[in-house]
Amino acid sequence: MSTQTPPRYPFAWTPPMQVPEALRNIHKTSAMEVTLPSGDVATLVTRYKDVRALFADKRLSRNIARPDCARISKDNDLFMDPNIDPDPPEHTRVRSLVTKAFTARRIEALRPYVQQVADQLLDEMEAAPQPVELNEALAFPLPIMVICKLLGVPAEDRDQFRAYVDGFLSVTKLPPEEVGQCRQNLWKYLGDLIDSKRENPGDDLVSELIRVRDDEDDSRLNEHELHFWTQGLLIAGYVTTASQIGTGTAVLLHHPEFVRAIREDFSLVPSTVEELLRTQIMGSSVGTMRYAIDDIPLSDGSVIKKGTSVLLSEEGANVDPEVFDCPMELDIRRTENHHMTFGAGLHYCVGAALARMELQVATESLLRRFPNIRLAAPAEELPRALGGFMEGFTEIPVEW
Amino acid sequence: MRVTANSETCAVSSLCVYRVPGVFDQDEDGLVLVLDESPAEGLHEEIRRAARGCPTKSIRVVEEPATANVPGEAG
Ligand code: SF4
Repeated sequence: MSTQTPPRYPFAWTPPMQVPEALRNIHKTSAMEVTLPSGDVATLVTRYKDVRALFADKRLSRNIARPDCARISKDNDLFMDPNIDPDPPEHTRVRSLVTKAFTARRIEALRPYVQQVADQLLDEMEAAPQPVELNEALAFPLPIMVICKLLGVPAEDRDQFRAYVDGFLSVTKLPPEEVGQCRQNLWKYLGDLIDSKRENPGDDLVSELIRVRDDEDDSRLNEHELHFWTQGLLIAGYVTTASQIGTGTAVLLHHPEFVRAIREDFSLVPSTVEELLRTQIMGSSVGTMRYAIDDIPLSDGSVIKKGTSVLLSEEGANVDPEVFDCPMELDIRRTENHHMTFGAGLHYCVGAALARMELQVATESLLRRFPNIRLAAPAEELPRALGGFMEGFTEIPVEW
Repeated sequence: MRVTANSETCAVSSLCVYRVPGVFDQDEDGLVLVLDESPAEGLHEEIRRAARGCPTKSIRVVEEPATANVPGEAG
């Protein structure tokens, strides 16, 4: 073993459109050490079969509020709430309360609403002077409005909580005091929201969770959990999808041949969305932090030792040549595309079906409305967000 | 082909329901239901894909030998 500092993680997106160079050689071993923005070292698991198996492995705890667990950021206790137990059986109990809202039938019932919001945003975009910045015009407002609707958050509040969430997800972007302030503001905002839903319940998810909290005799959600999971849904339901709509579309527009193919056959939209999810994961896998509570053998014979902080590389798994043919190539017609972007196992992203539906509506509506849409700046110059939890493009000027 | 699914391990990803809607469905809580345990042959490839793609490996497919009047599949 060398005594060199392990490479920095997240890997750098240079140039911004290309899969990070570091990912090309990542599958030689099952795991590698990486240095996080905090300076702490964690073990990154790199191969598809290990990543997939470990997402479902009970020897990896999601409870990372432990003194010897690596931290993502020095300035932010991301996902480290000592009052929440994200492992089974606690996790299973909470998850089963939430999944009801995300069945295929419920998601499909939301599709007309998502279409209506998309159409309205595209009307405004059409009327605006070109070039238009896609994040502000479509990518961010669409999922915000959808998650507001689902959770019963008043639409007027969305700019406010967007600012809080940005701060909440800062890794190095904001100083710790500002992160703390954003977190407090968000927590207070959610407290007020919960209070008002208690007085005037609706048919939204927050009202539903409150009902479970207040009515069930076994008191299935305590107040802190109610708060925490509402916050989780709000954050997860917005930033990730927003970042993927913007970044995925930018990548697509960088390939005019694909735009043409889709315009001729809109049934390619779902497989295009999957392929963009596979190849252009907007961030890294810092959010998959786990802690080994036992020794875990990997496929190359090496062993993750008990007490190791572990990250599961979704982006590495997604370009594993053992699983994907020509993994570095964008192929919008890929039929077998079981990527790891939403995780696997019992923690599989509860909002995945909703995100997929939003991505499909956004992509199809945009290309139908603006058949000649293109990037209005050189792809190499699009800035990527650094120092945040999501590393998508921050500015995506488009014209048509 | 016989198709079964374990709703106890299902994580409500909805992937199988979208892939082969007539064969897979979800109950009120979102847990997987198998509507057709012996689906038509034309669906077999998609069902195998759904099984491979299930993030919790909750879908089980047992291939049965082809009967006399149904041509078997190579491989
Ligand atoms: S694909 Fe698997 S996890 Fe997803 S709904 Fe079907 S059985 Fe459940």
